[in-house]
Formats: sequence, C-alpha cells, structure tokens
Amino acid sequence: MQVVHKSRVLSHNPNVCAGCGVCEVMCSLYHEGVLGPALARSHVVRHPFTAEHGHNICRQCFSPGCYFACPLKDKAICIDGTTGATYIDEDECTGCGICIDACPFDPPRIKINAEKNVAFKCDLCRGREGGPICVEYCPFQALKFVSKDEGQ
Amino acid sequence: MAKSYGWAGKVLQVDLANEVVKKVPTADYRPEEFIGGVGLNAKIFWDLGCPKVDAFDPGNPLIISAGPLTGIYGPFSRGEVCAISPQCHPDELFTYSGFGGMFPAEMKYAGYDGIVILGKAEKPVYLSIHDGDVEIKDADDLWGVETFEAQRVLMNDEPEASILVIGPAGERLSRVAVILNETKFAAGQGGFGAVMGSKNLKAVAVRGTGVVAVAKPDRILELTRTIIEENKKVVPMVRLLFRTPYMAPQETKVIFARKYFKKHYGCYGCPQQCCSIHDIPGIGLSGASCADWVWAPRFSIEPKEIWEANLLCQRLGINIYELIGIAFLLTLSLEAGILTMKEIEEDIGLPAPKWLGGTATNHEFLTVLLHKIANGEVPYAEGTARFTEHFRKKLVYGERLADLYKEVYTARGYAFHHLDNLGSALHWATDTRDPVNSSHEYKLNSPKAMEHFGLPPYDSYQIVDLSKTVYEGAERVTAWVQDNQCLKNSLPVCEFWALITSFYKPPEMDLRIFESMLFSAVTGLDMDVDRIARAGERIWNLRRAIMVKRENRTREGDTLNEPYFKKAITCLAGTATGLVSGPIDKGKFEALKDRYYELRGWDANTGWPTRAKLEELGLKDVADGLASIGRLP
Repeated sequence: MQVVHKSRVLSHNPNVCAGCGVCEVMCSLYHEGVLGPALARSHVVRHPFTAEHGHNICRQCFSPGCYFACPLKDKAICIDGTTGATYIDEDECTGCGICIDACPFDPPRIKINAEKNVAFKCDLCRGREGGPICVEYCPFQALKFVSKDEGQ
Repeated sequence: MAKSYGWAGKVLQVDLANEVVKKVPTADYRPEEFIGGVGLNAKIFWDLGCPKVDAFDPGNPLIISAGPLTGIYGPFSRGEVCAISPQCHPDELFTYSGFGGMFPAEMKYAGYDGIVILGKAEKPVYLSIHDGDVEIKDADDLWGVETFEAQRVLMNDEPEASILVIGPAGERLSRVAVILNETKFAAGQGGFGAVMGSKNLKAVAVRGTGVVAVAKPDRILELTRTIIEENKKVVPMVRLLFRTPYMAPQETKVIFARKYFKKHYGCYGCPQQCCSIHDIPGIGLSGASCADWVWAPRFSIEPKEIWEANLLCQRLGINIYELIGIAFLLTLSLEAGILTMKEIEEDIGLPAPKWLGGTATNHEFLTVLLHKIANGEVPYAEGTARFTEHFRKKLVYGERLADLYKEVYTARGYAFHHLDNLGSALHWATDTRDPVNSSHEYKLNSPKAMEHFGLPPYDSYQIVDLSKTVYEGAERVTAWVQDNQCLKNSLPVCEFWALITSFYKPPEMDLRIFESMLFSAVTGLDMDVDRIARAGERIWNLRRAIMVKRENRTREGDTLNEPYFKKAITCLAGTATGLVSGPIDKGKFEALKDRYYELRGWDANTGWPTRAKLEELGLKDVADGLASIGRLP
C-alpha cells in the first residue's frame, strides 16, 4: 500500500447550502456525461420546509471498509496516493456490491451503475485539474476540499 | 430512431376521468422544431384541436413541460404550464405561465418532457409518478389542506419527491390561484391552480431516479465556464437586491436582512439562487424573491405584516401578484374619491385598513381578503377584472370603479406593470396575457437589439415623455422580443437572470449565439443562430394560430384597455412606482400594427398569419387547419 501524504476530504456546511443541486449536476455531467443525481457521487438531501439541507458523500474513511472488503482490493478499489481518496477502477470492478455492504454509512456512499454494472463513488475528481468539480462550482462555498482533520 | 439527447423522450398523458395513462414519444411532437416548454405545449394543444371549452371544463388540457436544457448547470430548470386560463378577461384564453424550482428537472429524471392532464377525476386525487410507475391516487385527506402541509404529507411517502400542489384557493376555483412547488416556486399568472382544482387534482408528485443523456458533455462543460464567468458579474447585485423587500424603506430592509434572512434559495442546478429564505418566529419559514416583495411597500412596511401576507398567499395558493389587484384598486378608488371608507366596509364587505385611513390593521384587512379568495367567495376570488365587473352592476359608483380598473389593468385581466415602452405596449396588445416575463428584456436586452438592427436608441420608444416618442421601428423590437421570449420559454432559459444580456457582445457575437451553442451541445442537433431564432418565430406563429383558431383573434383584438390611449397613467403596481405610460397615439399605434403585421408576414386587415409565412416556418399543417375553418387570409 502506498503511503498517503495529503489526506483530503469534502466538507459540507449546511448553514449556507441552498440545496440547489449544482454539485449533483456537475458531478453527473463530469463523471458520467449525463444529467441526473442518480449517477452523481454527491447527493443533496433537500428539506425545503426547514431549509436545512443535508449532503451525502463519501467521507473517505481513514480505514475504508469498502477498500478492505473488496475481493479485488488495489485493483477494483484503490487508494489515491495524493489525496487519500478511495476510488474505483471501472475496468476492474465486477459490480459485486460487497463494498456497498461494507460502507458504514446509511445510505451507503457507494452506488451501482446498473447500465455499466460497476460500483461508483466519489474519488475527489481524481486527476482533475482544479480539484473536485462540485467544490469549484458550488455557488456558496458550502462544499470545501479540506484536510481530513479539518473535515471531521 | 436515433438516440435522443437532451429530451427525456416521453410525454405523459393522463386522462383523470377514465383513469387512463399513456406515454407518447416526445418525437411525435417534433421537438427539434418546437423545442419544449411553451413551444411543445402549443404543439400539443394544437394537435388536441384547440378545444373551444371553458377554463373549468374537463376538456381543458393542463399541459406542464420542461425543455431540453432543463437539468444542466445554469438558469434552465424551469417549467411552463399552458392551458385555457380562467384569469384572462373578458374571454378565457389559452395562455402560459412559467415556474422554477425542483419539479421540472425531477420530471425529466422520471423520464418525461411534459405531462398532459385531461378530464376531471370523480373525487379528489393526486398524481403519483415514480419513474415509469404512474398512479392516480386518492387525495380525500389532502383536500382543503394548505400547500406546505400537503407537500409534507406527500413527502412522508416519497421523501425526495418534487411536488406541484394547489391550495384551498385552487380547489375552490379562485381565478387567481397558483400551482406551487415547495414554498415559493409558482405558476402564478393565468390562474392555473383553479384549472387543477376543476379537475379535482390536488397535486402531482414526481420522483425520478433516471438520467438524461446529453450529446456532448465536454462541450457543455466548456460552455459552463462562460456561465460561471458571466455569473460573477450579476450574482452579487441580484441576490442582494431581492434579499429584502427592495422597494421598502431602508429600516424595513435592514430588519429583514439582519434578523430574518436565513439563506439563499433557487431553482435546481442554477448558480444564481436568486430567492432568499426568511424565517420569522411565530410566522414561519419560506422563500421570497422579486414578485413576493412588490406589493409590500405600498400597503405595509411592517416586516411581520409583509411576511404574514406572503405566507398566507403561498399556503392558500394565491397569486401574490394579485395583492396588487383588489387591494390596490381599493386604494386608488379612495384616492380618486370613488369610494369612501364606509362604502368599502359596507358595500364591498372588507374592513378598511390603516393604509386607507381606516381602523382595521393591515393584517386584518389582508387576512380577510385572502381568506375570501381562498374560500372561492364571489367576487373576491374571481380576480380584479371580474370583481369590478360584479360591482359595476351592483353599486351606483360601480361604473367609475370599472373605469378605474381599466387604468390599473392594461389588458386581458392583467395588471399594469413594466409598460414604459412602445415595444412592450405592442407586445401586450398582441399576446394573451401580460408580457411580464419579457419585461426585463425590454429594458435590458432590447436596447442592444435595437443597436443590432440599426434602430434608434431605446429611449426613443419610451412612452413616458411623449414628445420624444418614435413609433417607427418599434415593431422590430416587439417581434424580436416575442420570438426571443418563445425561445426562452421553450429551451427554457430564465428571464430573470437576463442571461443573454450578459452574453451579448456585439458586433462579433450575435444575439442568441450562446443558447444555440448550448442547444447543439445538449441535443447534438446542429443549431445556429438563424435557425434558433426561427424556432422562436415558429412558436410565436403557432401561438398566434391558436389565438386565431380558438379565440377568433383578429386585428381588432390586438389592443390595450381604452384609457391607455386617452390619458397618461401612472403605474402604481409595486415595482414600477412612478412609471408613467401614455397616452399612446391611437392612430400611430394602428400604423405601428400595420408595420408589425407586415414584418410578421401576416395579413394586415385580419391580423391572421398567411400561408406563405406558415409554410416558410414548416407549419403547413397549421396553415391547412386555419384554411379549413376559413381563417387563412
């Protein structure tokens, strides 16, 4: 396993989040080339009558259950050496779903793309210049790309 | 058929009477020509034969559509409602009303570009849509429930559903009832909430877990860079402006901004988030934007009173714009000496509030009035036009009240606002409702259009200082804005963001270039500026054909209420306080109409579109349809 130097995570500030869904739109467009929160890694849980919106996204666990559970560890689920993000290699993933069961969050932050039969999750826009696209486009800086310590 | 991009692919048709649900391919409606939104709605209505029924007849189709751009990043997540409108006066006309929010995008994720609702359910129902599963469900328990609570109840079953709902006002057929999504996104003008009510349809709840394919994701990402850059120029201004009742005194604004403002709010996927959420303890939390504030300063500057009336409107499902209707008319009638305080209390049956010099609190007045509207009480619930019509016969001074109404209301039952320009006057005269969703365009975009056409500068067409008014060329402005409006309401693009203004960089960038590039990237169809402009013209011509076929529209009908040609009128409808219109010179206005019909390629005697124009736009079937009823010149 690679040594993780700069472990990063997405943090969400519910006090300013407008629930607009820009993060979902940009995520599904950038990663899947389609429109729709169903294939977005970022998921806004909207509460229009309290305006307290939640946000479900992979927390990039220190000890990622999904990574350790994957039968193809380090092939299908890997850890990015730069950001510490757990990411899925679509070419290797068989869509078995074991990682989803291993996710400690409810709802699980890994989902299955039924059409491709692969699992998908937030990889902090691995390799994207400028970092995670949701952070870049969020109109209120409700999403931030921070170190894991700051994000807890 | 080749894979379709941008459109969800199906139009849902629901017959409430026979409980039949059909899914029609969007391709059947030639979306590459009619696009979506009002264009798609007009095409659907034309194909249904433009039924000559009343607004509350079960045969009035309620059509709700999104467009191909709905769901992408930017000000595009809008829907358009079209139906025969109960608010239009004296005749109920086929018209439109746009709304934002979450519903349009969610509808597309469920797989539908539009929903057509026909017939009337036997008892209260709501429509439940979960992707391909469509059910007409019992809504007995929801009937009479206010809009926020009704949505909360429906969200118990489907927490992430997006819901269009009506309040008690719609159920009881108030002609100023809205269709609401969440707290503040409403299809307001037109009274379409009552059309839903007449169908016994309380709500449409949609949950979509699908996706919409787009042709060129990378190109869209590239174009969104432009949006993000341009957005930076307008966001701070608009967000700040509409964070508080912007026409109110500074003290009121400060209280809203400091004490009650919670956060920003807006439509799905839009970076602008131009609405704001306020929370006043004891009254409640809700959203507000431009229209929610316009009435306020005239009647009350007390934050709690403003907020209480806003929430009542939203919860009861009443068009907030109509707060500038009856209440406004009464104010003016007092000022003009038509009515006295005593007469308002005794004859009209409303408490006289403080701002009229009476004893009731403004809160008491508005609460009584809004509840009368929500209870469907005649004449209060009928809209200001029918309200005055009612008293015209009953009161000795009713005739004067009706005259005053004609000053406050410009045409067809819609109140005077944003009419400072000949272009917008002609637009108003040739449409089926007020052109409020092009009003910003006249101010912001048309000056650039005029430059583009080599016309005199914008100020030449204003009708404030008549000594300066130029009539020649105004027809160009109107036609340009109308085509553009049709396009915007079809793609759709939010009027409010005034997107095109910020993207228009003459001379190298023609108008609408950004929209045509975005349309091409989303749909994969090759669309240039000329062709996209032509689509706007096509949609306007189809709308005109519907007016001609269903509503016997002729040149004579293309006019404004008489006072606008007789005297200068001060617009007191909220925002535009101090705006003066007219008098417009009747003879010159008729000559302007001549030039407008000629420019449009329509017959000047009848105001009907010609076969040549319709066929040029690919509307041969429409020309044949008009010919078969003898209405093709």
